[in-house]
Amino acid sequence: MSGKGKTIKVDYLARVEGEGALFIRYDDDQVHDVQLKIFEPPRFFEAFLRGRDYTEAPDITARICGICPVAYQMSALHAMEDALDLVPTPELRTLRRLLYCGEWIESHMLHVSMLHAPDFLGYPSAVAMAKGHPEIVRQALEIKKAGNALLRLLGGREVHPINVRVGGFYRTPIPEQFESLREQLLAARDLAEQMCRWSARLPFPENNQEFEFVSLVNPDEYPMNEGRIQSSRGLDISAGDYEQYFREEQVPHSTALHSILIERGAYLVGPMARFNLNYSRLSSRVKQVAEELDFRPPCTNPFKSIVVRCLEVLYAFDEALRIIENYQPPAHPYLTVKPRKASGCAATEAPRGLLYHRYGINAQGKITHAKIVAPTSQNQKTIEQDLRLMLPKFMHLPEDQLQGLCERAIRNYDPCISCSTHFLQLHLQHDQPGSL
Amino acid sequence: MTNQEVSERWLLISLGNRFRSDDGVGPFLLQKLKASLGHAAEFYESGGDMVGLLGQWKDRRVCLVDAVQVSGRKQGDLIRANGLADLLAPSLCNTSSHGFNLKEAIELGKNVRLLPRRLEIFAICAENFTCGNRLSAEVKRGAVLAEQQITELVQADNGGQQCTNNH
Repeated sequence: MSGKGKTIKVDYLARVEGEGALFIRYDDDQVHDVQLKIFEPPRFFEAFLRGRDYTEAPDITARICGICPVAYQMSALHAMEDALDLVPTPELRTLRRLLYCGEWIESHMLHVSMLHAPDFLGYPSAVAMAKGHPEIVRQALEIKKAGNALLRLLGGREVHPINVRVGGFYRTPIPEQFESLREQLLAARDLAEQMCRWSARLPFPENNQEFEFVSLVNPDEYPMNEGRIQSSRGLDISAGDYEQYFREEQVPHSTALHSILIERGAYLVGPMARFNLNYSRLSSRVKQVAEELDFRPPCTNPFKSIVVRCLEVLYAFDEALRIIENYQPPAHPYLTVKPRKASGCAATEAPRGLLYHRYGINAQGKITHAKIVAPTSQNQKTIEQDLRLMLPKFMHLPEDQLQGLCERAIRNYDPCISCSTHFLQLHLQHDQPGSL
Repeated sequence: MTNQEVSERWLLISLGNRFRSDDGVGPFLLQKLKASLGHAAEFYESGGDMVGLLGQWKDRRVCLVDAVQVSGRKQGDLIRANGLADLLAPSLCNTSSHGFNLKEAIELGKNVRLLPRRLEIFAICAENFTCGNRLSAEVKRGAVLAEQQITELVQADNGGQQCTNNH
């Protein structure tokens, strides 16, 4: 081994959800080891779902995450409905999509403005960034507020909505309730378009990589609740086949399982995957903005995921407004079904990517087994690979800048460690000659 | 940003989790004040989204109620603070790495000019934050004191200054 070995250590990575650390050992020639160490304790959601009623799964699993509770509710609902052969009416299906639009808006805008943008502008936090760029932060807050308003109207409240149930909603809105919301969404959509243009002008480190992108693909729409699981390398399966193609593995350094595509390895879920596999299904406004910005698929630089998130926010506004324009209240807020012994599964698109749920229930409707695969656990191996491939391009940087770049690279993925343990100390070790 | 008319009524905001025993004192107090003050004030039970407060409280007169843990203070003690001027107790500043705490929300509000024009914080000292929906007797006594002071504050200002031109 040539060159001087080094260690870079960051005890806690900021602006990610949850607790974890990163350990990187490298020398001047190569990176020897990258470990995304998730030490947040396991949360045992799958275990304590056992014995609970099938109707409770959406609300219990929503507690896995305060940022994307709707995603957990949606995957749980669809899995239960798959088990019980319950097909929601088109009107109910559309309202669920509208609720998901609200979550994408508030979750993406939180990450874009409060967690990710300070990285590009050289600020340690959103609070500090707000001094230099108050207008951007104010716009982001207005956009997020509109997403929250959608969640409040359809979900009953902004955090951990309480209005969804297997078969539909407890209560559905009347068209008049959308009137004032429509104005708010229109105003926020204009701000979202400005945010797309602003984000595309940020300085992006060069870090194009080859990923196998995985997301839902639905021929009729940009995917949220439904679709087949497809990849950029030819995978095309239903959610029912997920566990034949994807496997979770234990790794010694993480309390979260690592997901791999069997015999293929790491893959990427999330906004970049959705954008690259579903670009044609975005609204004409979003595609026009993307074209004007010369931002077309494939996007292979994770630093540019901030632009993709902004485009998805713009899409969510377009979609929400389209749904509201055409809203027909469902004849009944929910469909009923008698429980029976069954099993079912579903995958939906959480803001951070594919979220898979599988449940078994007994004749009394009690849950006998549960399996949840969160987006962050699917991306963990990819994050490690990204760092392994990225670092050699930036070895010339001073150690503190290299360390900062590693933290930024991790935030590109908007990791939610609390979901996946269900992240971060950073420890970069530059080896001394002969130290191995 | 659009120019929206700012309500002159006090906005009473609660923080805290109803299902974490004494942490529920904020929502408990809000419910009591809703019953006694009615339309004299507006009420907002925050689910914990501190950034969301910035959109709620801009230019308003705000009372914020929450449970607090302060070493050396007894359960039920009431701590009152001017949120725009005083240092906040550390336990009012708990945060997740993905969210903001109250102190950060106030700092952010200063930087983007989304602050209330008055922010009175009523923090009730508590110790039991385990699962449950009952308040301890001490914390309930603190809530009664807070209720009296908030009621006096709101009633004293009702019919008071109506001019919204602060500049």
